[in-house]
Amino acid sequence: MKRLIAMNRWLGWLTLILLAVSLWLVFNAPIDYQQGNSVRILYIHVPSAKMALFVYLALTVFSIWYLWKKSETADILVEASAPVGAAFALVTLASGSIWGKPMWGTWWAWDARLTSMLVLLILYMGIIAIRNGIDDPVKGARATAVLAIFGAVDLPIIHFSVVWWRTLHQPPSFGKTASAGPAITGPLLPPLLWMSLTFFLLGAYLILLKARETQGRRTLEHLEAQRRTHV
Amino acid sequence: MLKAIYRLAWKDVLADFRHRSTFSSMLFFSVAVLLVFQAAFEPNGQEAQRLVPGLLWTTVLFTTLMGLGRVFQSEEENGAFEGLLLTPLPRGAIFFGKWLGNLVLSLMVMIMLIPLTLILFNVNIWIHIPMLLALLLLGTMGLTALGVLLAAMTQTARSRETLLALLLLPLVAPLLIAGVQAMTEVINTGTLGGPWLNLLLIFDAIYLSLAPWGFGWLVEE
Repeated sequence: MKRLIAMNRWLGWLTLILLAVSLWLVFNAPIDYQQGNSVRILYIHVPSAKMALFVYLALTVFSIWYLWKKSETADILVEASAPVGAAFALVTLASGSIWGKPMWGTWWAWDARLTSMLVLLILYMGIIAIRNGIDDPVKGARATAVLAIFGAVDLPIIHFSVVWWRTLHQPPSFGKTASAGPAITGPLLPPLLWMSLTFFLLGAYLILLKARETQGRRTLEHLEAQRRTHV
Repeated sequence: MLKAIYRLAWKDVLADFRHRSTFSSMLFFSVAVLLVFQAAFEPNGQEAQRLVPGLLWTTVLFTTLMGLGRVFQSEEENGAFEGLLLTPLPRGAIFFGKWLGNLVLSLMVMIMLIPLTLILFNVNIWIHIPMLLALLLLGTMGLTALGVLLAAMTQTARSRETLLALLLLPLVAPLLIAGVQAMTEVINTGTLGGPWLNLLLIFDAIYLSLAPWGFGWLVEE
């Protein structure tokens, strides 16, 4: 844990440099012939959507790790990941909404991906709420880990059920052959890849930063409790 | 083991009828929800028929939520939860006991809720009642499995009822979608089956097999 915290400062600087590079690439990328300049929202929207899901994956791994090893580090990481994931989910929904108004003609549609992302955001909020809502530290940690794992089981079901239910969103732009519909290629791809890398590092940086804060707060609470018993 | 599960459930149902009266609150709450819906949407005959699946499922969801808030209440108040955990039973059996007790109460509410809805909204689909009830029962099995788990999860939390609702509603979204779609199909075509029913069954199977395991983690001292 301590080594991770020391590493975090360098991670922060690296993220900042990469962000500068990615933004430069983004603003030099050509505009889309159909979407014009609003295509640039994609460079925020897609990476944050990927990160919203990826952070949940990490959260699930930390939860399993906690239940398995009863490690406090794992619990701190669970607590630290949830708000970061929620932020990415919120950015995804907000940027998608801003893009959706001129492109689809509506801020919001009850489409499969939008609905899943909204459910993911609420789930993150639930995880944050339960982590803060239980005073007993061990019970709180266990409840949060079990909830996160059940959420991980539920998310694919939610996703497939809403996919059957309704679909308007275009299929993913990554890793597809041109014959299957519009795919992202050529000069639009490098900025997206750079931005994805930046967001990945940003996510790791924010989680570690939050983990450090959480650990500090817990140490403080522990000391405070000790002081009270001595007085 | 089955007998123990049955006895646990019977204890809850009996205690409820003797003094806790969750059942009667649930029943009148569901009627109140119907009243609210009528006041909010004022559906005419055709609209009412289209709205019935959604109406029944939301009412069942809210009513169940209310019952779930009380699943561990008596144990918590009287410190009996430790006693329950000390019984020589696997944690999964305790879970199924609580689940069954809650399911029976919810089922009794639903048996009264369906005809009440059809009367109050003046919808003539009486021949479908057995299928509607079967669907609601299947849905409630998964719903209460997840619900009892979440109730155990939130029982020591500060604002537990709010937290329970916040956690339950997004997680049951697939169940609700599948239930409403399957019920619409029953009302329109008179047949029970198809992919939506399968999704409902998958949800039930997943939660009934995983929730006891999760419960074991939650209550471990």
